[in-house]
Amino acid sequence: MNRFSAAIGGFVILLGIGAFVLFSAAYTLDESEQAIVIQFGAPVGDPVTTPGLHFKTPFIQEVRRFDKRLYSWDGDPNQIPTRGEQFISVDTTARWRIADPLLFMQRVRDERGATLRLNDILDSVVRDQISATDLLEIVRSKDWRVSEEDLARAQAVSETDEEILRQRVASGREELTKLILEKARAQMPTLGIELVDIRIKRVDYVESVQQRVFERMIAERQRIAEQFRSEGQGRAAQIDGQTQQLLAQIRSEAQRRAELIRGEADAEATRVYNEAFGADPEFFSFFRSLESYSRSIGSKTTIFLGPDSDYVRYLRKSGLPE
Amino acid sequence: MPSRPYPPSEGADNPLMEQLQRLGPVLWVIPLLVIALFAALTSYYTVQPEEEAVVKRFGRVIAINPPGLHFKLPLGVDRVQFVPTARVLKEEFGFRSGGGDARGQYIKNRTHRDESLMLTGDLKVIDVEWVVQFQIADADKFLHRARQPIQTLRDISEAVMRRVVGNSLGSDVLTEKRVQVATAARLELQDILNSFDLGIQINTIELQDVTPPDLVKPAFNEVNQAEQERERLINEAEKRRNQVIPRAEGQASQIIAEAEAYRAERVNRSRGEAGRFSAILTEYKRAPEITRQRLYLEMIDNVLPKAGPVYIMEEGANSPLPLLNLGQPLGGSTGGK
Repeated sequence: MNRFSAAIGGFVILLGIGAFVLFSAAYTLDESEQAIVIQFGAPVGDPVTTPGLHFKTPFIQEVRRFDKRLYSWDGDPNQIPTRGEQFISVDTTARWRIADPLLFMQRVRDERGATLRLNDILDSVVRDQISATDLLEIVRSKDWRVSEEDLARAQAVSETDEEILRQRVASGREELTKLILEKARAQMPTLGIELVDIRIKRVDYVESVQQRVFERMIAERQRIAEQFRSEGQGRAAQIDGQTQQLLAQIRSEAQRRAELIRGEADAEATRVYNEAFGADPEFFSFFRSLESYSRSIGSKTTIFLGPDSDYVRYLRKSGLPE
Repeated sequence: MPSRPYPPSEGADNPLMEQLQRLGPVLWVIPLLVIALFAALTSYYTVQPEEEAVVKRFGRVIAINPPGLHFKLPLGVDRVQFVPTARVLKEEFGFRSGGGDARGQYIKNRTHRDESLMLTGDLKVIDVEWVVQFQIADADKFLHRARQPIQTLRDISEAVMRRVVGNSLGSDVLTEKRVQVATAARLELQDILNSFDLGIQINTIELQDVTPPDLVKPAFNEVNQAEQERERLINEAEKRRNQVIPRAEGQASQIIAEAEAYRAERVNRSRGEAGRFSAILTEYKRAPEITRQRLYLEMIDNVLPKAGPVYIMEEGANSPLPLLNLGQPLGGSTGGK
């Protein structure tokens, strides 16, 4: 080895040490990160929140990184009784972020610790609020209104159903959500967490109640179906009745008019006869009687002609009248 | 075993080591060249047409670049994240469409059903499936405001849809208020996402299948059937009416027509008879005796041949004297003159 290469070797070693120190002193912070610089376990200065290239004292300081972004929290569905003692399954979802990294680090250490604490706090707040609220208030919102048309469309059959539909909402889902957020938020500052948002994601009946609700819905549908059917039968009967009435009307009207016409005819005929026959009633009587004999006497008639009969007179004697 | 002996290696004797020592100073260049090549390779990037590139220098956002070829500082100083901002993205609730093609399979399992079953304002259960279509409006915000922006979108979307449906009547959501529900949910979802500053733009929320729960469906169908049955019964009754009434009207006209016929006949006959009587009366008045007698005898002519037994009574006699008996043979007639 000559001197030159020794020099180069020394230089390279120095460069290496320099680079090592530099890399230990510099750190980058992503847009989504914030960090605390720690020296022998004690935090140094304020948390670093601006992204980019930063420096610290090499070797003796270390950097703890935390996410700056919104975290999602998803609770397990809880079975909670409402104020009306109906058991429902409530699933909540929340957004939170690390507001004070130092406090956060001290109190809950990391995301896992935070989630565990949040589980406890949020579950209990939700439980408290839900069990102090009626189911209707949980499901509906404050602007719940049911107009008469809505009622007709909803085909509510029973009066209790209608009453439930009309029932006004005092606070409603939005207010309840706000209240839960408020109560839960109050417990957050000690954890270095800011609770941004908490919402009721799902509200469902528990299995057994759901079964009963389905049965109720089925029964209600069947009532409506029955109503339709009897409506149909009723309308059909009504139409049939009207038909019979109309029939009777048409027939009797025809008969009435026919009788009137016949009556007029008879009257007219009588008038004509009277006019003609009235000219000589005696002759009419004679004439009409003769005609009647012609018509009425037949083979079944036995005729007895008395001696004073005009017809028989010449049969007996043909002498001139004395 | 080895067919030819391998030369024993003894440090400086190795020809490779000799070569290396000779090249000495030049050797330092090789890693530099490798580094330079690597730097060159990492100093450019291409942005696809549907994407935007978020460029970060030491972690800080310095640019958001449109599609095309771009250059950056190499060796991890500048890093690039690609975000598909032009693409319309889709999240499905209550079902998943599997398969790659446009008309993929429809999948709905228990988890999906849990997403779509919800309570309505009248405390019924309803199965609402919907799709949220959205775009990433701001790539920077989308990457750096929430750890799970899509999960956030899903959570809030479920919460919002349930709030809106919970504030509506089940029958309305099933039928005429679908569009209103979807619109209300879209506005509310957008508001909440804006409050998180997620850089997401909701394009539409579309309600897909909205149905009663499976167990209740048959009952709903029964209502439809009953409604149709009602119409059928009414139609049949109307049909019966339409069959009967015209026939009855026809019969009524017939009755009246018959009465009219009777009138015509009766009046005409009376006029005829009256006319005949009047005519005869006129002649009768000229010679009453003769006419009377003639009419009488004509009647007898007419009547006797048709009649049954005719008896002529003797004055003071007890038994009648048969004169003519057309109904019986002559020999069989009892007695005679």
